[in-house]
Amino acid sequence: MSAYRMTDLIDDRPTDGVFRINRALFSDPDLFDLEQRHIFEGGWVFVGMACQAEKPHDFFTGFIGRVPILVSRSGEGALNGFINACPHKGARIAQQCSGNARLHVCPYHSWTFDSAGTNRNIKWKSAGSYGAGFDREDHDLARIPRFGEYRGFLFASLNPDVPSLDDYLGEARKLIDLLVDQSSDGVELVPGAVRFTYAANWKMQLENCSDQYHFTSTHPSYIRILEARAKEQKNEVVQSTLGGSDFWKEDAAGPTGGTFSFAHGHVLNWGLMAVTPALPLFERADEIAARVGAERRNWMFNMRNLTIFPNLQIAENASSQLRVIRPVAHNYTEMQTWCIAPRGESAEARRMRIRQYEDFFNPTGMATPDDTVAYEECQAGMARQERPWLQGHARGLAASVEGGNAYSDMIGLHPERSVLGQAQTGDESLFHSYYRAWASRMREALA
Amino acid sequence: MTDQLLREAEALLYREALLLDEGSYDAWLDLFTPDTEFWMPAWRNESEQTSDPDSELSLIYYQGRSNLEDRVRRVRSGLSIASKVRLRVMHAISNVLVTAQTPDSASISSCFTVHLVDVRAGRTHTFFGRYEHELVRTDRGWRISRKVIRLLNDVVPTLLDFYSI
Repeated sequence: MSAYRMTDLIDDRPTDGVFRINRALFSDPDLFDLEQRHIFEGGWVFVGMACQAEKPHDFFTGFIGRVPILVSRSGEGALNGFINACPHKGARIAQQCSGNARLHVCPYHSWTFDSAGTNRNIKWKSAGSYGAGFDREDHDLARIPRFGEYRGFLFASLNPDVPSLDDYLGEARKLIDLLVDQSSDGVELVPGAVRFTYAANWKMQLENCSDQYHFTSTHPSYIRILEARAKEQKNEVVQSTLGGSDFWKEDAAGPTGGTFSFAHGHVLNWGLMAVTPALPLFERADEIAARVGAERRNWMFNMRNLTIFPNLQIAENASSQLRVIRPVAHNYTEMQTWCIAPRGESAEARRMRIRQYEDFFNPTGMATPDDTVAYEECQAGMARQERPWLQGHARGLAASVEGGNAYSDMIGLHPERSVLGQAQTGDESLFHSYYRAWASRMREALA
Repeated sequence: MTDQLLREAEALLYREALLLDEGSYDAWLDLFTPDTEFWMPAWRNESEQTSDPDSELSLIYYQGRSNLEDRVRRVRSGLSIASKVRLRVMHAISNVLVTAQTPDSASISSCFTVHLVDVRAGRTHTFFGRYEHELVRTDRGWRISRKVIRLLNDVVPTLLDFYSI
């Protein structure tokens, strides 16, 4: 049991208009160990896309918390999730990030498993003089206790005692639909994965994706360039979706966007954007409207940053990004990122999407480094001090209402709470959903 | 002729390295043709890089020097926290080879090692890999019409800007 009580860490008093987070959540290594065990290894997490293992015997590897995993498609076409560790001595049986293998042979003593995880050979078994107990053990690869797919998105839980995947995703499924339905053939990952690290807590990234408040202050250098490029209209410069939109402009009038919070820690922040040629999706605007209706189509053009707690973020703003947060230490995080795109878009639309992506989302681009450096500056200030409570979860609290609004109604979306924002609202109350889910998973570890 | 070309190519690559190290970005930009291609591919998997920038992701891909001018403008703007304290960088270029040539153009292969000190964060890092330069002869001397940066250690620690590679 931890030295902390939950109330030391999260000061959640809705009736008093208070929601505060203790810095220790970002800086305490012992709490981080508890998070690994109870959040990442204790419930549903995103593990990858079905399209990463599309054909029979395709596989990819990864981690859930600290545990290595293998996702493999069997010869019959079924996707399964396994612990990527030989039952014999624990060696990872697959070392590549992805590939195709009918058989996985452990590199250490050649125990062999098929693509459905079944043990096919224990080297020199008959000569092995095993005791009677050995045959009673299961020699197959250990299955991840819960494993499921929603429209190509794969989730798994090392803890068997969790709600169903449908319950866990809940209303957020409708937001995944808004991405997947952009093509009647679904989505794919553009070849080329980009990884980067930053020396700060994983929750800095968790919050930043949903933080509209930071955009104009963290990214003015990028915004200036967008503005200049929008004026130039030269072919060779990389144009951006954001260059023609009002949603982040400080002097825009009326609602420009808002936030939705859902059960189990999922949140969306969004901005109104028009159906314009600035988005690669424009070429199929009419086709999509005919297929899913004009209101869903219009929502696909809105800026949307979706977090599926705790480790998946889908950002559709300057381009379209799939991000996976991998916590490594209390002050060190690895990000795995991909450009996610509707299948079958034209070569020109794909080119535009990729160019917009690189400039905005890459750690080698013009925006993300300003975020990650800011995370590191925050991490410095997370050191234990006299005033433990952060003041970064307070904006929007008085604007937060139960249920949805006219915008969620348009697509039949039923959030637990919502904020309809002006350009300067910069809602932070959607983060509460993260920390309530955090508290729910950490409850058994904290008094 | 090849020896002469090799010496000229080395001189250009070393000069480019020095300009980046010094932060002389205007002079650095001037080494590129206006329609230059600047490309740092991403990695598709452990052993293959992406090869088509229009259908696969790159770490950086620009056609046209004006995009590089934007990058320079950004780091100088005073509006980017990642660029506020300039990293100290040192480019070392080696293994320079002429891989193709015509009277007015040359393909140059080389290795690079960039040592960086991020003074703000108090840490050092090294980026390394290979360069492929396409050079064209102009009335102002050799200019870079294409530069490919094949970064081998591609997990980026917090940031990587044009002067880091």
